[in-house]
Amino acid sequence: MVNDEAPVREEIVSVDGLYKKYSKRADYAVEDVSFKVYAGEIVGILGHNGAGKSTTLKCLEGMLPFDKGAISICGHDIVKEPVKAKSNMGFVTDDHAVFVKMTGIQYIDFMADVYKVPQAIRQIRLDQLEKIFCLGDSIQNLISSYSHGMRQKICMMGSLVHSPKLWILDEPMTGLDPRTMRAVQDYMKYYASIGNAILFSSHALNTVAKICDRVVLIRKGKQVDDIVMSEFADRPDFDFEEYFLSNERQD
Amino acid sequence: MRDRIDFRLLGALLKKNRRENTSSFRKGNFDAVGFVMRLLLAGAFIAIFVIFFGKFVDMYLGIKLNNVSDAEERLYELLTLVYGAVLLAMILSGISQINQALFSADDMRVIAALPIGANTLYLSKIILIYLGQLVVACFTVLPVNLTVAAHYAVPTAYYPLTALACVVLPLMSVAISSILALPYHALKVFLKDKFLLNFIVITVLTALLLFLYAYVLEAVKELLLGDDMKYFFNEKVMTGIALCAKYLYPANLISNILLGRELLVSSLVIAGWFLACMAVSLLMIRMILTRSLQSRISGSPNFVKKVKPLAKSRLPFNALLRKEFLMIFRTPGYMFSYFAIAVVMPLLVYFCMSVGSSLAVKLIAVDSNLELAIFLTMLFGMLANMFCSTNISRDGMLFYSLKAMPLNYKQVIFSKVLLCMIVTAFSQLFSAALLAATSYITVANAAFLFVVGMMFGFAQICVATRADFNHPHFSSESDGEIKESGNTVSTVLVIGIVLSFALGGALLLTKMYFSLRGLSEAYAYLTYVITAGIAILSVAGSVTFLLVGLRDRFYRFSGGGLH
Repeated sequence: MVNDEAPVREEIVSVDGLYKKYSKRADYAVEDVSFKVYAGEIVGILGHNGAGKSTTLKCLEGMLPFDKGAISICGHDIVKEPVKAKSNMGFVTDDHAVFVKMTGIQYIDFMADVYKVPQAIRQIRLDQLEKIFCLGDSIQNLISSYSHGMRQKICMMGSLVHSPKLWILDEPMTGLDPRTMRAVQDYMKYYASIGNAILFSSHALNTVAKICDRVVLIRKGKQVDDIVMSEFADRPDFDFEEYFLSNERQD
Repeated sequence: MRDRIDFRLLGALLKKNRRENTSSFRKGNFDAVGFVMRLLLAGAFIAIFVIFFGKFVDMYLGIKLNNVSDAEERLYELLTLVYGAVLLAMILSGISQINQALFSADDMRVIAALPIGANTLYLSKIILIYLGQLVVACFTVLPVNLTVAAHYAVPTAYYPLTALACVVLPLMSVAISSILALPYHALKVFLKDKFLLNFIVITVLTALLLFLYAYVLEAVKELLLGDDMKYFFNEKVMTGIALCAKYLYPANLISNILLGRELLVSSLVIAGWFLACMAVSLLMIRMILTRSLQSRISGSPNFVKKVKPLAKSRLPFNALLRKEFLMIFRTPGYMFSYFAIAVVMPLLVYFCMSVGSSLAVKLIAVDSNLELAIFLTMLFGMLANMFCSTNISRDGMLFYSLKAMPLNYKQVIFSKVLLCMIVTAFSQLFSAALLAATSYITVANAAFLFVVGMMFGFAQICVATRADFNHPHFSSESDGEIKESGNTVSTVLVIGIVLSFALGGALLLTKMYFSLRGLSEAYAYLTYVITAGIAILSVAGSVTFLLVGLRDRFYRFSGGGLH
């Protein structure tokens, strides 16, 4: 007997009718944005500067309150069950905010404590992450002495120490050297392939086209498209950059 | 290679500095409460100083050395010592300001890449520092010189020369600071990662300053009690002062000019001194500034003690507590403002107690050590805990990261409160123990003092934390360090001072009232009842203030500049 039913995909993120404004008089920074992210998917959020990408991600991370809509992470509502929802995600902010008075290793320790990573697997995780991000001995230094790229790396390492089901990255490639950029892209693919989900915003269209399964386009706070990248796989002439820019020009 | 000063660029840099410095007066940035507070405090301080200094001038000018009265010589000594002290303070502040301007200011990261010569850049910073010190000189030299003029027949030239002193003193201070600024920078770099050593050095220096302060307090007490201070200035002390004034260069040169002694020689020596210092400092700056800026931008190797790869796991709350501690301990400004001040706070209470205790007995004939101890503990505890008014703002944008972590709002807020309580417990315990050990209060009263000190401390920490949470003020510095106090700090300071004086005054008045009626023994319990009552009310009120709507506020938190 053939099973015609599509396999049930594990829903990691559900954003439903999200509205967010920064003040009562202001326009909506995010208006009626809805999308889902499933296990094994890499979803990119694209848009021009100020389109609402970071705001959407910050609402998702629980950093910012929102006015209407619902967000759930692994089935946990971010408002009603914030701690459970946040336990399932790791995030990297666009400003690479990190505790600069800690050493790299102390920061990893801190994140492991906060996410309650068992003692037994901490070192294994750290070794895995070190292979990707290659901070070397610098991990023993104060983060205040780190360069921009190194801060980005330690933020990523901290966000992955608990192997979250959802990895959220805001402009992750900014400031990374080409080797690390490639390593991060490869790791993102690997990380999604083992059943996790990745949601990230970026202006690097090549990266987005290369690694994303889906792309959510946001313009002036509104969601204008939800593109499944595999649909263009059989079109060798398809230029994602041109597609994105023509979409923007419609404005 | 010559490094000429480009006056056009110098003008542009000064304009930039002026705009930056006046930005805090713009609408929206202006801390009106703090500004008025500072003005009032400065005015009150100058008024008190003029009164006491006037009395002191009368007494000092009348002192005889070898049975000979020489008022002009005494005036020379007095002015030399005062100018020496002012100059020393200005040099120390100048060294710190030059370092901040050259090596820490954010604008240097940009300016370092611009085609501006080291000397032009340096001069632009120095001129700004000079102008700041000119204001300080006016606020210190003018009250001193005018008070002297009101108590001694000075020559007419004294007045314009006073104005000249205001201009020259900061010139000398800036010149000397310029030379010392670079060695100080080297010392700072050496101490940068040695956090514990840094803490010890800062605390010891602060404690030493407090001992100096205690010495001054003792003199003030003698003056207030009407004891003849001439006994203090005996032959031996006066010979020492005369010798000191004779060799206290360059402060004595300014005294010479003011009193019309060796006018030409003194002026020439000062001018030569200034030019030599500036020439040396410009040479040093040209040699090292660019290299130093480049090393700052590229970052320097910054190895701290090697630690084990990963520490033992902690509960999230403990991890937050540790994070809070590290943030303060490893930021020199924070470490001084909180930890060092908390450590020396018991000394501050003790010194003031030693003066206040005998003053109270002599002036109001009432033994009110416990009341005074409560007042001092509350006042200085409040000043030490002012730091808690930045409990949220210190995190800056990282507060949003904490929000995104799987942490309960109580864990985030209470970890901050608990760390402050641990620091408060330390300073309150040592404060009470010191007063008990020196027999100012009994052990039982010390225990009471500790308990109420903790309660008042807790109340202040809760109020300060919530006030900062309601109106956070995130730093725009690259390292996120808060270097300017905001409205919350000023408001909490005003409330704390008013409450301390209100409670302290109420206790002392109650004690006086019953003592004058011979009922102090019978009504001794009132001190405990009033203090404990207000402490309980403060705790209840502040906990309510902290907790009401905290969960919702935490969720809705969106201040500090995140958009």
